[in-house]
Amino acid sequence: MAHEDRLTAVVVDDHPAVRAGVAYWLTSGTPPIEVVSSGEDVSAAWLDEGATADVVILDLHLGGPTPVLGDLRRLVEAGRNVVVYSMRADDEIALHCLELGALCYLTKAEGADHLVEATRAAARGDAYTPPSLAGALAGDRSDHRPALSARETEVLVEWFQSESKDFVAQRLGITASTVNSHLERIRVKYAQIGRDAPTKAALVARAIQDGLIGVDEL
Amino acid sequence: MADLRAQDRVIAIMRTGLLVVTAVVQLGLNAAPLVRHQAEYRPAWVVDAAFAVLALVTAVCAVWVLRGRPLPTAVVAVGAVVVLVASSAVTAALPPDGFFLDVHWSFGLVGWHLLVLLFDRVGLLVAALGTHFAASVVQFALAGGHDRAEVGAAGVVVLSVLSFQAAIAVITLVLRRQSRQAALVAAERDRVTTRAALAEQWERDRRVTFAGQLGATLPLLVGLADRTLDPRDEDTRHRCALAATQLRRLFAENDEVPDPLVHEVAACVDAAQRRGVEVSLAVSGAAVPVPTAVRRELTAPLVVALSAVRGRARVSVLRTDEEVRVAVMTDTEVGIDGGSALVEVDCGTYGEHTRMEARWRTRTG
Repeated sequence: MAHEDRLTAVVVDDHPAVRAGVAYWLTSGTPPIEVVSSGEDVSAAWLDEGATADVVILDLHLGGPTPVLGDLRRLVEAGRNVVVYSMRADDEIALHCLELGALCYLTKAEGADHLVEATRAAARGDAYTPPSLAGALAGDRSDHRPALSARETEVLVEWFQSESKDFVAQRLGITASTVNSHLERIRVKYAQIGRDAPTKAALVARAIQDGLIGVDEL
Repeated sequence: MADLRAQDRVIAIMRTGLLVVTAVVQLGLNAAPLVRHQAEYRPAWVVDAAFAVLALVTAVCAVWVLRGRPLPTAVVAVGAVVVLVASSAVTAALPPDGFFLDVHWSFGLVGWHLLVLLFDRVGLLVAALGTHFAASVVQFALAGGHDRAEVGAAGVVVLSVLSFQAAIAVITLVLRRQSRQAALVAAERDRVTTRAALAEQWERDRRVTFAGQLGATLPLLVGLADRTLDPRDEDTRHRCALAATQLRRLFAENDEVPDPLVHEVAACVDAAQRRGVEVSLAVSGAAVPVPTAVRRELTAPLVVALSAVRGRARVSVLRTDEEVRVAVMTDTEVGIDGGSALVEVDCGTYGEHTRMEARWRTRTG
Protein backbone atom coordinates (compact mmCIF):
# COMPACT_ATOMS: atom_id res chain seq x y z
CA MET A 1 0.00 0.00 0.00
CA ALA A 2 2.64 2.52 1.03
CA HIS A 3 5.27 3.58 -1.46
CA GLU A 4 8.86 3.46 -0.36
CA ASP A 5 9.67 7.12 -0.32
CA ARG A 6 6.37 8.88 -0.73
CA LEU A 7 3.79 9.46 2.01
CA THR A 8 0.21 9.94 0.85
CA ALA A 9 -2.98 11.02 2.58
CA VAL A 10 -6.65 11.48 1.78
CA VAL A 11 -8.59 14.27 3.50
CA VAL A 12 -12.30 13.81 4.28
CA ASP A 13 -13.90 17.01 5.53
CA ASP A 14 -17.10 18.83 4.63
CA HIS A 15 -15.43 22.26 4.60
CA PRO A 16 -13.40 23.06 1.46
CA ALA A 17 -11.27 25.57 3.41
CA VAL A 18 -10.27 22.88 5.92
CA ARG A 19 -9.40 20.46 3.08
CA ALA A 20 -7.26 23.13 1.42
CA GLY A 21 -5.62 24.12 4.72
CA VAL A 22 -4.82 20.55 5.70
CA ALA A 23 -3.40 19.86 2.22
CA TYR A 24 -1.22 22.94 2.51
CA TRP A 25 0.10 22.00 5.96
CA LEU A 26 0.86 18.43 4.91
CA THR A 27 2.60 19.31 1.66
CA SER A 28 4.70 22.09 3.17
CA GLY A 29 6.35 19.87 5.81
CA THR A 30 9.63 18.06 5.26
CA PRO A 31 9.41 15.49 3.90
CA PRO A 32 6.10 16.56 2.36
CA ILE A 33 3.04 14.38 2.65
CA GLU A 34 1.12 14.28 -0.61
CA VAL A 35 -2.66 14.69 -0.46
CA VAL A 36 -3.76 12.39 -3.29
CA SER A 37 -7.48 12.89 -2.85
CA SER A 38 -9.98 14.82 -0.78
CA GLY A 39 -13.72 15.09 -0.56
CA GLU A 40 -16.70 16.04 1.54
CA ASP A 41 -17.72 12.46 2.28
CA VAL A 42 -16.06 9.17 3.04
CA SER A 43 -16.28 7.90 -0.56
CA ALA A 44 -13.08 9.89 -1.25
CA ALA A 45 -11.22 7.40 0.97
CA TRP A 46 -12.56 4.37 -0.92
CA LEU A 47 -12.25 5.47 -4.57
CA ASP A 48 -9.35 5.88 -7.00
CA GLU A 49 -6.14 7.12 -5.44
CA GLY A 50 -7.85 7.77 -2.10
CA ALA A 51 -8.31 4.02 -1.68
CA THR A 52 -4.56 3.42 -1.50
CA ALA A 53 -3.47 6.51 0.46
CA ASP A 54 -1.32 5.73 3.52
CA VAL A 55 -3.40 7.84 5.89
CA VAL A 56 -7.06 8.85 6.06
CA ILE A 57 -7.66 12.20 7.77
CA LEU A 58 -11.31 12.02 8.78
CA ASP A 59 -13.58 14.75 10.08
CA LEU A 60 -16.13 13.15 12.39
CA HIS A 61 -18.95 15.59 11.63
CA LEU A 62 -19.62 15.51 7.91
CA GLY A 63 -22.60 17.83 7.59
CA GLY A 64 -24.90 15.72 9.76
CA PRO A 65 -25.39 16.04 13.50
CA THR A 66 -24.15 12.52 14.28
CA PRO A 67 -20.47 11.60 14.14
CA VAL A 68 -19.58 9.16 11.34
CA LEU A 69 -18.37 6.43 13.72
CA GLY A 70 -19.66 3.68 11.41
CA ASP A 71 -17.44 4.95 8.57
CA LEU A 72 -14.50 5.10 10.97
CA ARG A 73 -15.10 1.46 11.97
CA ARG A 74 -15.29 0.30 8.33
CA LEU A 75 -12.08 2.14 7.40
CA VAL A 76 -10.24 0.64 10.38
CA GLU A 77 -11.57 -2.84 9.60
CA ALA A 78 -10.21 -2.45 6.08
CA GLY A 79 -6.77 -1.86 7.61
CA ARG A 80 -6.63 1.88 6.94
CA ASN A 81 -4.60 4.20 9.19
CA VAL A 82 -7.07 6.82 10.34
CA VAL A 83 -6.41 10.16 12.02
CA VAL A 84 -9.67 11.61 13.33
CA TYR A 85 -9.67 15.38 12.95
CA SER A 86 -12.61 16.90 14.77
CA MET A 87 -14.06 20.24 15.72
CA ARG A 88 -15.13 18.98 19.12
CA ALA A 89 -12.97 18.38 22.18
CA ASP A 90 -15.24 15.66 23.52
CA ASP A 91 -13.44 13.14 25.75
CA GLU A 92 -16.06 10.49 25.38
CA ILE A 93 -16.04 10.55 21.57
CA ALA A 94 -12.23 10.72 21.51
CA LEU A 95 -12.00 7.57 23.67
CA HIS A 96 -14.65 5.88 21.55
CA CYS A 97 -12.65 6.61 18.38
CA LEU A 98 -9.54 5.04 19.93
CA GLU A 99 -11.58 1.99 20.90
CA LEU A 100 -12.74 1.70 17.29
CA GLY A 101 -9.09 1.76 16.19
CA ALA A 102 -8.30 5.33 15.13
CA LEU A 103 -4.57 6.01 15.49
CA CYS A 104 -5.12 9.58 16.63
CA TYR A 105 -7.91 11.90 17.72
CA LEU A 106 -6.94 15.47 17.05
CA THR A 107 -9.04 18.59 17.66
CA LYS A 108 -8.96 21.32 15.07
CA ALA A 109 -7.81 23.79 17.75
CA GLU A 110 -4.50 21.95 18.00
CA GLY A 111 -2.83 23.27 14.87
CA ALA A 112 -0.47 22.23 12.11
CA ASP A 113 2.41 20.68 14.04
CA HIS A 114 0.26 18.08 15.73
CA LEU A 115 -1.57 17.23 12.50
CA VAL A 116 1.66 16.74 10.55
CA GLU A 117 3.17 14.63 13.33
CA ALA A 118 0.00 12.58 13.74
CA THR A 119 -0.17 11.95 9.98
CA ARG A 120 3.48 10.96 9.77
CA ALA A 121 3.06 8.57 12.71
CA ALA A 122 -0.12 7.13 11.20
CA ALA A 123 1.66 6.52 7.87
CA ARG A 124 4.03 4.22 9.79
CA GLY A 125 1.04 2.64 11.54
CA ASP A 126 1.96 4.36 14.80
CA ALA A 127 -0.38 6.04 17.22
CA TYR A 128 0.04 9.70 18.11
CA THR A 129 -1.25 11.31 21.31
CA PRO A 130 -1.80 15.07 21.13
CA PRO A 131 -2.29 17.01 24.42
CA SER A 132 -6.10 17.07 24.30
CA LEU A 133 -6.21 13.32 23.80
CA ALA A 134 -3.72 12.92 26.67
CA GLY A 135 -6.20 14.86 28.82
CA ALA A 136 -9.03 12.58 27.74
CA LEU A 137 -6.94 9.51 28.61
CA ALA A 138 -5.91 10.98 31.99
CA GLY A 139 -9.52 11.85 32.79
CA ASP A 140 -10.86 8.48 31.65
CA ARG A 141 -12.99 7.05 34.46
CA SER A 142 -14.58 4.17 32.56
CA ASP A 143 -14.56 0.74 34.20
CA HIS A 144 -12.66 -1.01 31.44
CA ARG A 145 -9.81 1.51 31.20
CA PRO A 146 -6.35 -0.06 31.24
CA ALA A 147 -4.21 0.19 34.37
CA LEU A 148 -1.53 2.88 33.92
CA SER A 149 1.55 3.24 36.07
CA ALA A 150 1.94 6.39 38.21
CA ARG A 151 4.69 7.62 35.88
CA GLU A 152 2.56 7.04 32.78
CA THR A 153 -0.33 9.00 34.31
CA GLU A 154 2.02 11.82 35.26
CA VAL A 155 3.38 11.98 31.69
CA LEU A 156 -0.18 12.20 30.34
CA VAL A 157 -1.14 14.96 32.78
CA GLU A 158 2.02 17.03 32.23
CA TRP A 159 1.74 16.72 28.44
CA PHE A 160 -1.92 17.76 28.57
CA GLN A 161 -1.12 20.75 30.80
CA SER A 162 1.99 22.04 29.06
CA GLU A 163 1.71 21.00 25.37
CA SER A 164 5.51 20.78 25.42
CA LYS A 165 7.40 17.48 25.51
CA ASP A 166 10.63 19.27 26.38
CA PHE A 167 8.90 20.75 29.39
CA VAL A 168 7.51 17.37 30.44
CA ALA A 169 10.98 15.85 30.12
CA GLN A 170 12.49 18.66 32.19
CA ARG A 171 9.82 18.42 34.87
CA LEU A 172 10.06 14.67 35.27
CA GLY A 173 13.82 14.44 34.79
CA ILE A 174 13.64 12.15 31.74
CA THR A 175 14.50 12.54 28.07
CA ALA A 176 12.00 13.60 25.42
CA SER A 177 12.26 10.18 23.80
CA THR A 178 11.33 8.55 27.11
CA VAL A 179 8.26 10.80 27.19
CA ASN A 180 7.38 9.46 23.73
CA SER A 181 7.88 5.86 24.69
CA HIS A 182 5.64 6.35 27.75
CA LEU A 183 2.95 7.78 25.49
CA GLU A 184 3.35 4.90 23.04
CA ARG A 185 3.12 2.36 25.83
CA ILE A 186 -0.10 3.96 27.05
CA ARG A 187 -1.54 3.82 23.56
CA VAL A 188 -0.63 0.14 23.23
CA LYS A 189 -2.43 -0.50 26.51
CA TYR A 190 -5.48 1.28 25.11
CA ALA A 191 -5.18 -0.59 21.80
CA GLN A 192 -5.34 -3.86 23.70
CA ILE A 193 -8.76 -3.03 25.15
CA GLY A 194 -10.07 -1.78 21.79
CA ARG A 195 -11.78 -3.69 18.99
CA ASP A 196 -9.81 -6.17 16.96
CA ALA A 197 -8.45 -4.49 13.85
CA PRO A 198 -5.40 -4.89 11.59
CA THR A 199 -4.03 -1.55 12.85
CA LYS A 200 -4.30 -2.69 16.46
CA ALA A 201 -2.48 -5.95 15.74
CA ALA A 202 0.29 -4.04 13.97
CA LEU A 203 0.56 -1.53 16.80
CA VAL A 204 0.89 -4.22 19.47
CA ALA A 205 3.32 -6.29 17.37
CA ARG A 206 5.57 -3.28 16.83
CA ALA A 207 5.45 -2.39 20.54
CA ILE A 208 6.74 -5.88 21.35
CA GLN A 209 9.40 -5.62 18.64
CA ASP A 210 10.58 -2.26 20.03
CA GLY A 211 10.70 -3.66 23.54
CA LEU A 212 7.97 -1.28 24.77
CA ILE A 213 5.99 -4.14 26.25
CA GLY A 214 6.81 -7.77 26.90
CA VAL A 215 4.90 -10.70 25.40
CA ASP A 216 3.89 -11.73 28.92
CA GLU A 217 2.07 -8.41 29.37
CA LEU A 218 -0.48 -9.26 26.68
CA MET B 1 -48.37 18.15 51.16
CA ALA B 2 -49.97 18.24 54.59
CA ASP B 3 -52.80 20.33 53.19
CA LEU B 4 -53.37 17.95 50.31
CA ARG B 5 -53.73 15.16 52.83
CA ALA B 6 -56.20 17.35 54.74
CA GLN B 7 -58.19 17.69 51.52
CA ASP B 8 -58.18 13.91 51.09
CA ARG B 9 -59.46 13.62 54.65
CA VAL B 10 -62.38 15.98 53.95
CA ILE B 11 -63.35 13.93 50.90
CA ALA B 12 -63.05 10.69 52.85
CA ILE B 13 -65.35 12.05 55.58
CA MET B 14 -67.96 13.18 53.06
CA ARG B 15 -67.89 9.81 51.33
CA THR B 16 -68.23 7.99 54.66
CA GLY B 17 -71.25 10.17 55.49
CA LEU B 18 -72.90 9.23 52.17
CA LEU B 19 -72.17 5.55 52.80
CA VAL B 20 -73.77 5.68 56.26
CA VAL B 21 -76.82 7.45 54.83
CA THR B 22 -77.12 4.75 52.14
CA ALA B 23 -76.89 1.92 54.68
CA VAL B 24 -79.39 3.58 57.03
CA VAL B 25 -81.87 4.32 54.24
CA GLN B 26 -81.70 0.76 52.92
CA LEU B 27 -81.80 -1.17 56.20
CA GLY B 28 -83.82 1.30 58.27
CA LEU B 29 -86.37 2.63 55.79
CA ASN B 30 -86.54 0.15 52.91
CA ALA B 31 -86.41 -3.25 54.63
CA ALA B 32 -89.88 -2.77 56.19
CA PRO B 33 -91.80 -2.02 52.93
CA LEU B 34 -89.96 -4.92 51.23
CA VAL B 35 -91.23 -7.34 53.82
CA ARG B 36 -94.70 -5.76 53.92
CA HIS B 37 -95.28 -5.93 50.16
CA GLN B 38 -93.67 -9.37 49.53
CA ALA B 39 -96.93 -10.76 48.12
CA GLU B 40 -97.41 -7.95 45.59
CA TYR B 41 -94.14 -8.38 43.64
CA ARG B 42 -94.11 -10.55 40.53
CA PRO B 43 -91.92 -12.43 41.15
CA ALA B 44 -90.88 -11.63 44.71
CA TRP B 45 -87.47 -13.36 44.53
CA VAL B 46 -86.18 -10.84 41.98
CA VAL B 47 -86.93 -7.99 44.36
CA ASP B 48 -85.36 -9.84 47.31
CA ALA B 49 -82.26 -10.56 45.22
CA ALA B 50 -82.05 -6.90 44.17
CA PHE B 51 -82.24 -5.84 47.83
CA ALA B 52 -79.43 -8.27 48.68
CA VAL B 53 -77.31 -7.09 45.74
CA LEU B 54 -77.72 -3.42 46.74
CA ALA B 55 -76.75 -4.25 50.32
CA LEU B 56 -73.74 -6.12 48.96
CA VAL B 57 -72.65 -3.10 46.89
CA THR B 58 -72.82 -0.97 50.04
CA ALA B 59 -70.76 -3.54 51.95
CA VAL B 60 -68.11 -3.78 49.21
CA CYS B 61 -67.84 0.04 49.05
CA ALA B 62 -67.43 0.11 52.82
CA VAL B 63 -64.18 -1.90 52.48
CA TRP B 64 -62.48 1.09 50.82
CA VAL B 65 -64.55 4.00 52.10
CA LEU B 66 -64.10 3.20 55.80
CA ARG B 67 -60.32 3.09 55.31
CA GLY B 68 -60.44 6.50 53.64
CA ARG B 69 -59.30 5.14 50.27
CA PRO B 70 -60.76 6.09 46.88
CA LEU B 71 -62.79 3.34 45.21
CA PRO B 72 -60.97 1.37 42.48
CA THR B 73 -62.28 2.04 38.96
CA ALA B 74 -63.32 -1.61 38.49
CA VAL B 75 -65.45 -1.54 41.65
CA VAL B 76 -67.06 1.73 40.55
CA ALA B 77 -67.85 0.45 37.04
CA VAL B 78 -69.24 -2.93 38.14
CA GLY B 79 -71.05 -1.35 41.10
CA ALA B 80 -72.80 1.32 39.00
CA VAL B 81 -73.98 -1.21 36.40
CA VAL B 82 -75.16 -3.66 39.07
CA VAL B 83 -77.05 -0.91 40.91
CA LEU B 84 -78.80 0.30 37.74
CA VAL B 85 -79.72 -3.26 36.73
CA ALA B 86 -81.04 -4.02 40.24
CA SER B 87 -83.13 -0.84 40.14
CA SER B 88 -84.67 -1.75 36.77
CA ALA B 89 -85.33 -5.30 37.99
CA VAL B 90 -87.27 -4.06 41.03
CA THR B 91 -89.21 -1.56 38.90
CA ALA B 92 -90.10 -4.32 36.41
CA ALA B 93 -91.42 -6.55 39.22
CA LEU B 94 -93.73 -3.85 40.66
CA PRO B 95 -97.49 -4.16 40.67
CA PRO B 96 -98.95 -1.79 37.98
CA ASP B 97 -100.21 0.70 40.52
CA GLY B 98 -97.11 0.64 42.71
CA PHE B 99 -94.80 3.07 40.85
CA PHE B 100 -92.99 5.60 43.03
CA LEU B 101 -94.96 4.54 46.10
CA ASP B 102 -94.00 2.74 49.27
CA VAL B 103 -93.72 -0.55 47.38
CA HIS B 104 -91.14 1.01 44.97
CA TRP B 105 -88.54 1.47 47.71
CA SER B 106 -85.60 1.07 45.32
CA PHE B 107 -86.38 4.31 43.47
CA GLY B 108 -85.03 6.62 46.16
CA LEU B 109 -82.34 4.23 47.41
CA VAL B 110 -80.46 3.72 44.16
CA GLY B 111 -79.62 7.42 43.93
CA TRP B 112 -77.68 7.12 47.23
CA HIS B 113 -75.72 4.15 45.93
CA LEU B 114 -74.81 6.11 42.82
CA LEU B 115 -73.71 9.07 44.98
CA VAL B 116 -71.36 6.82 46.97
CA LEU B 117 -69.96 5.09 43.89
CA LEU B 118 -69.53 8.11 41.61
CA PHE B 119 -68.72 10.71 44.23
CA ASP B 120 -65.53 11.89 42.53
CA ARG B 121 -66.68 11.37 38.93
CA VAL B 122 -69.22 14.17 38.54
CA GLY B 123 -69.98 13.68 34.83
CA LEU B 124 -70.64 9.99 35.28
CA LEU B 125 -72.72 10.66 38.41
CA VAL B 126 -75.05 13.01 36.51
CA ALA B 127 -75.27 10.51 33.64
CA ALA B 128 -76.00 7.57 35.98
CA LEU B 129 -78.64 9.48 37.99
CA GLY B 130 -80.20 10.63 34.70
CA THR B 131 -80.26 7.06 33.41
CA HIS B 132 -81.83 5.84 36.63
CA PHE B 133 -84.62 8.45 36.60
CA ALA B 134 -85.23 8.14 32.85
CA ALA B 135 -85.41 4.32 33.05
CA SER B 136 -87.87 4.47 35.96
CA VAL B 137 -90.09 7.03 34.18
CA VAL B 138 -89.99 5.05 30.92
CA GLN B 139 -90.90 1.82 32.74
CA PHE B 140 -93.71 3.73 34.45
CA ALA B 141 -94.98 5.02 31.10
CA LEU B 142 -94.75 1.57 29.45
CA ALA B 143 -96.81 -0.01 32.21
CA GLY B 144 -99.67 2.21 30.94
CA GLY B 145 -103.22 2.77 32.25
CA HIS B 146 -102.36 5.55 34.69
CA ASP B 147 -104.91 8.23 35.38
CA ARG B 148 -104.05 11.91 35.88
CA ALA B 149 -103.97 11.66 39.68
CA GLU B 150 -101.48 8.79 39.52
CA VAL B 151 -99.27 10.66 37.04
CA GLY B 152 -99.41 13.75 39.24
CA ALA B 153 -98.50 11.82 42.40
CA ALA B 154 -95.64 10.08 40.53
CA GLY B 155 -94.36 13.44 39.28
CA VAL B 156 -94.29 14.82 42.83
CA VAL B 157 -92.30 11.82 44.12
CA VAL B 158 -89.84 11.88 41.19
CA LEU B 159 -89.26 15.61 41.53
CA SER B 160 -88.78 15.55 45.28
CA VAL B 161 -86.34 12.63 45.21
CA LEU B 162 -84.55 14.10 42.19
CA SER B 163 -84.18 17.56 43.73
CA PHE B 164 -83.06 16.18 47.09
CA GLN B 165 -80.38 13.94 45.62
CA ALA B 166 -79.28 16.57 43.11
CA ALA B 167 -78.92 19.01 46.03
CA ILE B 168 -76.75 16.49 47.89
CA ALA B 169 -74.62 16.02 44.76
CA VAL B 170 -74.19 19.78 44.34
CA ILE B 171 -73.30 20.24 48.01
CA THR B 172 -70.60 17.55 47.91
CA LEU B 173 -69.30 19.04 44.69
CA VAL B 174 -69.00 22.52 46.19
CA LEU B 175 -67.39 21.19 49.38
CA ARG B 176 -64.87 19.22 47.35
CA ARG B 177 -63.97 22.18 45.19
CA GLN B 178 -63.56 24.45 48.20
CA SER B 179 -61.41 22.02 50.12
CA ARG B 180 -59.21 21.61 47.02
CA GLN B 181 -58.87 25.38 46.66
CA ALA B 182 -58.06 25.70 50.36
CA ALA B 183 -55.37 23.05 49.99
CA LEU B 184 -53.87 24.80 46.97
CA VAL B 185 -53.86 28.17 48.72
CA ALA B 186 -52.22 26.68 51.81
CA ALA B 187 -49.57 24.91 49.71
CA GLU B 188 -48.82 28.12 47.81
CA ARG B 189 -48.53 30.02 51.10
CA ASP B 190 -46.02 27.42 52.34
CA ARG B 191 -44.02 27.69 49.13
CA VAL B 192 -43.92 31.49 49.36
CA THR B 193 -42.74 31.31 52.98
CA THR B 194 -39.98 28.85 52.07
CA ARG B 195 -38.89 30.93 49.10
CA ALA B 196 -38.76 34.06 51.20
CA ALA B 197 -36.68 32.33 53.86
CA LEU B 198 -34.31 30.95 51.22
CA ALA B 199 -33.93 34.31 49.51
CA GLU B 200 -33.15 35.95 52.83
CA GLN B 201 -30.53 33.33 53.63
CA TRP B 202 -28.97 33.64 50.17
CA GLU B 203 -28.83 37.43 50.45
CA ARG B 204 -27.13 37.19 53.85
CA ASP B 205 -24.59 34.67 52.52
CA ARG B 206 -23.86 36.82 49.51
CA ARG B 207 -23.22 39.92 51.60
CA VAL B 208 -20.76 38.04 53.77
CA THR B 209 -19.04 36.45 50.74
CA PHE B 210 -18.73 39.71 48.82
CA ALA B 211 -17.48 41.64 51.80
CA GLY B 212 -14.85 38.94 52.36
CA GLN B 213 -13.74 38.78 48.74
CA LEU B 214 -13.76 42.44 47.87
CA GLY B 215 -10.75 42.84 50.18
CA ALA B 216 -8.25 43.60 47.39
CA THR B 217 -10.62 45.82 45.42
CA LEU B 218 -11.73 48.33 48.03
CA PRO B 219 -8.24 49.67 49.04
CA LEU B 220 -7.39 49.89 45.34
CA LEU B 221 -10.49 51.98 44.60
CA VAL B 222 -9.78 54.16 47.63
CA GLY B 223 -6.18 54.65 46.48
CA LEU B 224 -7.24 55.59 42.96
CA ALA B 225 -9.88 58.00 44.26
CA ASP B 226 -7.45 59.67 46.67
CA ARG B 227 -4.78 59.81 43.95
CA THR B 228 -2.34 58.06 46.21
CA LEU B 229 -2.09 55.44 43.47
CA ASP B 230 -1.01 56.34 39.95
CA PRO B 231 -2.90 54.46 37.18
CA ARG B 232 0.19 54.78 34.94
CA ASP B 233 2.24 52.87 37.44
CA GLU B 234 2.97 49.26 36.45
CA ASP B 235 2.19 48.02 39.93
CA THR B 236 -1.19 49.78 40.03
CA ARG B 237 -2.07 48.35 36.63
CA HIS B 238 -1.20 44.90 37.88
CA ARG B 239 -3.34 45.41 40.97
CA CYS B 240 -6.23 46.52 38.74
CA ALA B 241 -5.83 43.43 36.58
CA LEU B 242 -5.86 41.27 39.69
CA ALA B 243 -8.96 42.98 41.10
CA ALA B 244 -10.76 42.70 37.75
CA THR B 245 -10.00 38.97 37.51
CA GLN B 246 -11.04 38.42 41.13
CA LEU B 247 -14.32 40.21 40.55
CA ARG B 248 -15.05 38.28 37.36
CA ARG B 249 -14.47 35.03 39.21
CA LEU B 250 -16.62 36.19 42.11
CA PHE B 251 -19.53 37.10 39.82
CA ALA B 252 -19.24 33.71 38.09
CA GLU B 253 -19.37 31.97 41.47
CA ASN B 254 -23.07 32.76 41.93
CA ASP B 255 -24.21 31.66 38.48
CA GLU B 256 -26.38 28.57 38.17
CA VAL B 257 -24.41 26.41 35.72
CA PRO B 258 -23.89 22.66 35.30
CA ASP B 259 -20.10 22.87 35.67
CA PRO B 260 -19.28 25.73 38.10
CA LEU B 261 -15.52 25.08 38.25
CA VAL B 262 -15.04 25.36 34.49
CA HIS B 263 -17.41 28.34 34.45
CA GLU B 264 -15.24 30.17 37.00
CA VAL B 265 -11.99 29.21 35.27
CA ALA B 266 -13.46 30.40 31.95
CA ALA B 267 -14.39 33.73 33.58
CA CYS B 268 -10.74 34.20 34.69
CA VAL B 269 -9.54 33.26 31.18
CA ASP B 270 -11.96 35.75 29.66
CA ALA B 271 -10.76 38.54 31.97
CA ALA B 272 -7.16 37.85 30.87
CA GLN B 273 -8.13 37.72 27.18
CA ARG B 274 -9.76 41.13 27.51
CA ARG B 275 -6.38 42.49 28.57
CA GLY B 276 -4.97 41.19 25.30
CA VAL B 277 -3.29 38.06 26.65
CA GLU B 278 -3.43 34.99 24.45
CA VAL B 279 -4.93 32.25 26.62
CA SER B 280 -6.02 28.76 25.63
CA LEU B 281 -8.24 26.66 27.88
CA ALA B 282 -8.38 22.86 27.82
CA VAL B 283 -10.80 20.81 29.90
CA SER B 284 -10.74 17.04 30.29
CA GLY B 285 -12.52 14.47 32.38
CA ALA B 286 -16.20 14.48 33.30
CA ALA B 287 -17.39 17.14 35.75
CA VAL B 288 -17.37 16.27 39.45
CA PRO B 289 -19.07 18.28 42.21
CA VAL B 290 -16.56 20.66 43.84
CA PRO B 291 -17.59 22.58 46.99
CA THR B 292 -17.57 26.38 46.69
CA ALA B 293 -14.77 26.79 49.24
CA VAL B 294 -12.56 24.35 47.30
CA ARG B 295 -13.37 26.08 43.99
CA ARG B 296 -12.22 29.37 45.51
CA GLU B 297 -8.93 27.83 46.53
CA LEU B 298 -8.46 26.06 43.20
CA THR B 299 -8.99 29.26 41.23
CA ALA B 300 -7.17 31.70 43.55
CA PRO B 301 -3.64 30.88 42.26
CA LEU B 302 -5.01 30.94 38.70
CA VAL B 303 -6.35 34.46 39.26
CA VAL B 304 -2.92 35.64 40.46
CA ALA B 305 -1.06 33.92 37.61
CA LEU B 306 -3.40 35.15 34.88
CA SER B 307 -3.42 38.74 36.12
CA ALA B 308 0.38 38.78 35.97
CA VAL B 309 0.83 37.16 32.55
CA ARG B 310 1.79 39.43 29.67
CA GLY B 311 2.25 37.20 26.63
CA ARG B 312 0.48 33.86 26.43
CA ALA B 313 -0.83 31.22 28.78
CA ARG B 314 -2.37 27.79 28.67
CA VAL B 315 -4.95 26.96 31.30
CA SER B 316 -6.08 23.39 31.86
CA VAL B 317 -8.66 21.72 34.06
CA LEU B 318 -8.35 17.98 34.54
CA ARG B 319 -10.75 15.77 36.47
CA THR B 320 -9.53 12.22 37.10
CA ASP B 321 -11.11 9.64 39.36
CA GLU B 322 -8.95 10.82 42.26
CA GLU B 323 -8.33 14.51 41.88
CA VAL B 324 -9.13 17.81 40.26
CA ARG B 325 -6.13 19.70 38.87
CA VAL B 326 -6.20 23.29 37.64
CA ALA B 327 -2.93 24.26 35.96
CA VAL B 328 -1.61 27.28 34.13
CA MET B 329 1.54 27.49 32.00
CA THR B 330 2.74 31.02 31.38
CA ASP B 331 5.72 32.81 29.90
CA THR B 332 5.80 35.26 32.83
CA GLU B 333 7.41 34.50 36.11
CA VAL B 334 5.05 34.82 39.05
CA GLY B 335 5.57 33.90 42.64
CA ILE B 336 2.59 32.13 44.08
CA ASP B 337 2.56 30.86 47.55
CA GLY B 338 -0.47 29.40 49.15
CA GLY B 339 -2.17 26.12 49.37
CA SER B 340 -4.04 24.81 52.33
CA ALA B 341 -5.15 21.61 53.95
CA LEU B 342 -7.70 21.27 51.16
CA VAL B 343 -5.82 22.33 48.07
CA GLU B 344 -2.17 21.71 47.27
CA VAL B 345 -0.51 24.48 45.24
CA ASP B 346 2.69 23.88 43.30
CA CYS B 347 4.58 26.55 41.41
CA GLY B 348 7.87 26.41 39.56
CA THR B 349 9.85 27.93 36.71
CA TYR B 350 11.48 25.70 34.11
CA GLY B 351 13.47 27.55 31.49
CA GLU B 352 11.10 30.02 29.89
CA HIS B 353 7.99 28.38 31.29
CA THR B 354 6.34 29.00 34.64
CA ARG B 355 3.98 26.32 35.78
CA MET B 356 1.41 26.69 38.51
CA GLU B 357 -0.91 23.93 39.57
CA ALA B 358 -3.62 23.63 42.23
CA ARG B 359 -4.70 20.07 43.10
CA TRP B 360 -7.63 18.89 45.13
CA ARG B 361 -8.01 15.24 46.02
CA THR B 362 -11.66 14.26 45.66
CA ARG B 363 -11.13 11.26 47.89
CA THR B 364 -9.84 12.24 51.27
CA GLY B 365 -7.52 9.94 53.11
